[in-house]
Amino acid sequence: MVARHAKPAFTVRRARFIALCLLPGAVFVALFTYYPMIRGAVIAFQRYNLFDLTSTPFVGLENFWSVLAEERFWTALRNTGTWVVVSLFFQFFLGFGLALLLRRQFRGRGLYQAWVFFPWAMSGFLIGLLWRWMFNGQFGVINDLLLKAGIIDERIGFLASPGWAMTSVIVANIWYGVTFFAIMIMAALQSVPPELYEAASVDGASRMRQFWHVTLPHIRPTLALIVLLRIIWILNFPDLIYSMTGGGPAGSTDIITTFLIQQVSGGDYGRAGAVGMLALGLLLAFSIFYLNVTRMERS
Amino acid sequence: MTSSRLAAPSALLAAATLVLAACGSGSGSSSGEVRLRMIESLTSPDRTKLIKSLIADFEKANPGVTVELVSPPLESADQKINQIMQTKKDLDVLEVRDHTAKSMSNNGWLAELPTTSWSGWSDLTDLAQKKAVEVGGKPYLLPYGFYQRTLFYRTDWGMTQPPTTWQELYEAGKKMTTGDRFGYSFRGGKGGADYAVMMISAYNGESVNPEKAYYLKDKRTIFSTPEATQAMDLYLKIFKEASPPDSVSWAYPEMVQGFTSGVTGMLIQDPEVIKTVQESAVKAWSTSPIPKGPTGYALQPVGYAGWGVTSFSKHQKEAIKLVQFLSEAKQSIAFAKGNSLIPISKQAQDDPQFSQGAWKAYLEAQRDPKQVITIRPVDYPGWSQFGIDSDRDVQALITGKKTIAEVLKSWDAFWADQAKQVS
Repeated sequence: MVARHAKPAFTVRRARFIALCLLPGAVFVALFTYYPMIRGAVIAFQRYNLFDLTSTPFVGLENFWSVLAEERFWTALRNTGTWVVVSLFFQFFLGFGLALLLRRQFRGRGLYQAWVFFPWAMSGFLIGLLWRWMFNGQFGVINDLLLKAGIIDERIGFLASPGWAMTSVIVANIWYGVTFFAIMIMAALQSVPPELYEAASVDGASRMRQFWHVTLPHIRPTLALIVLLRIIWILNFPDLIYSMTGGGPAGSTDIITTFLIQQVSGGDYGRAGAVGMLALGLLLAFSIFYLNVTRMERS
Repeated sequence: MTSSRLAAPSALLAAATLVLAACGSGSGSSSGEVRLRMIESLTSPDRTKLIKSLIADFEKANPGVTVELVSPPLESADQKINQIMQTKKDLDVLEVRDHTAKSMSNNGWLAELPTTSWSGWSDLTDLAQKKAVEVGGKPYLLPYGFYQRTLFYRTDWGMTQPPTTWQELYEAGKKMTTGDRFGYSFRGGKGGADYAVMMISAYNGESVNPEKAYYLKDKRTIFSTPEATQAMDLYLKIFKEASPPDSVSWAYPEMVQGFTSGVTGMLIQDPEVIKTVQESAVKAWSTSPIPKGPTGYALQPVGYAGWGVTSFSKHQKEAIKLVQFLSEAKQSIAFAKGNSLIPISKQAQDDPQFSQGAWKAYLEAQRDPKQVITIRPVDYPGWSQFGIDSDRDVQALITGKKTIAEVLKSWDAFWADQAKQVS
């Protein structure tokens, strides 16, 4: 009786306490994430040009139509597909390989791990600037090495030719992102209980079979989540491209987010808002689809 | 129990602090002390140091006034400034650039600066006075200096005389181009379209309206003429036959690097490059005014930026005083020297730094009536958008994705449409 009476009082107070603890975080997120997001969504329906902010009337879907009518938007959309799929493919498999290698014990592993993970700690913009000079057709170290190794006879304008530019930015992105996969997959690998391997090897399973039937099923949910996260991040990652090519030459490396930045630099916040909303819609639809597919696979 | 009783108020306090922090700290003035907030846009470490030393002089001359300088990184500075301006809070003095001035004055963010009551006004050059009132007809800013392009060229690569026309530049550049060496630091990347426009203007020559430099005196656009096509033909030839193929993606740093590392023999750039070239390994070089078109004219805008005061400043009197202080002869000449700018003060003409060596080309250009200074239509609504679109078109042109006719047609259509929107 006493216990039952004391419990609700305790929970109310507890709930209030929890709410109070959450408040700073909630206020922070509301102020710095939700407010700008909602404001951005509203701007997408306004004529909102920096050139004249004294009149910002609502114009319905005008911004959306003008974006969708642009060839450049569709080019950017196609490029986004290439950018995400190719980057992700190599990041994933190289990262996976790296994680498997790093799982083994060897001398200086800790140091080596720290060394490998270093790129992830650098700013994407900075990495872009580094690669921009490395890929430079005249003074770049990559051309120099290829020439000296006798692989090419003539310098290649990596960032200057529409064909090479996308490859170049993707190479930079792969270099940057392998690390992330390696970290995450290594953490997942460490969560596989060693008893399972012991049991498998007692049953006479080869290393390959152990990998397919023990390791992979165990880390699959984590992998599904990491891949989803990465897709969203790569798609929303203009830093590298922006500092390496600015979307050029002639839009051949434009992705949705660099296209968005161009709208902002052009002063047309309304159109930029519309591009942002379209990108958000795309990601949302994709995430729902992806989560459903992976859930179906599991069951 | 005690812990939760204590925790509740402290959580509240934390929340309150956050909210307060988010609202920003006021440039609060307590006990008669005035605190000004100033933001710069074209940030670089040396420049910030120089501004700080000028501010220190100002503070010494005006006891009771302190100035806090905000120095956002160059790449995002203008956007940051725009955001602050939209909140209309906590900013007194700011750096206004030629292409941000119009939108800022349109939106009512800038205060009009007094000129008649200020003795320094008469010391400004005609150009400085003109540019101060160029936007909106009122002095919304005082320029601190000008950027104007000049030709840098190697004197040890077989060229005895600098090219005076674009045709000569092409021919000289072609001769220099051998294997690893190229004639010209072409700009295909960000800002590349500027150079195309420079050539088109030179080819249109006298018929261009210098006050609205994308239009002819007869109101057509400069992109609509056969001369524009001729200019672009040569432009493309200069790229293909006298420039590094990699220059498709070259912007400011690569062009300068190309010249200073001995890859290219000619470069057209702003005066701040003088210092960079002086410090480089290239020793045999000189400068001359930018090349002209077939009719003997060269046209180029003069870039500028200056200091302005916000319309919502709570300490306008002191803010104006600071801007005027920075624009006085002594301070403005020091600033122009430190940043390799064409100075705003009449007194600078007697200064040896601005009349000797590489600077002579500027004096030469100033004395030549056929080296015309123009005003670009930065006050048209499509200006910023055109900057982005046209750079892209230039890259499409030189990589063969678009033809000269297509590019010129779209530029002509764009500016014809802009003219309709403005009138």
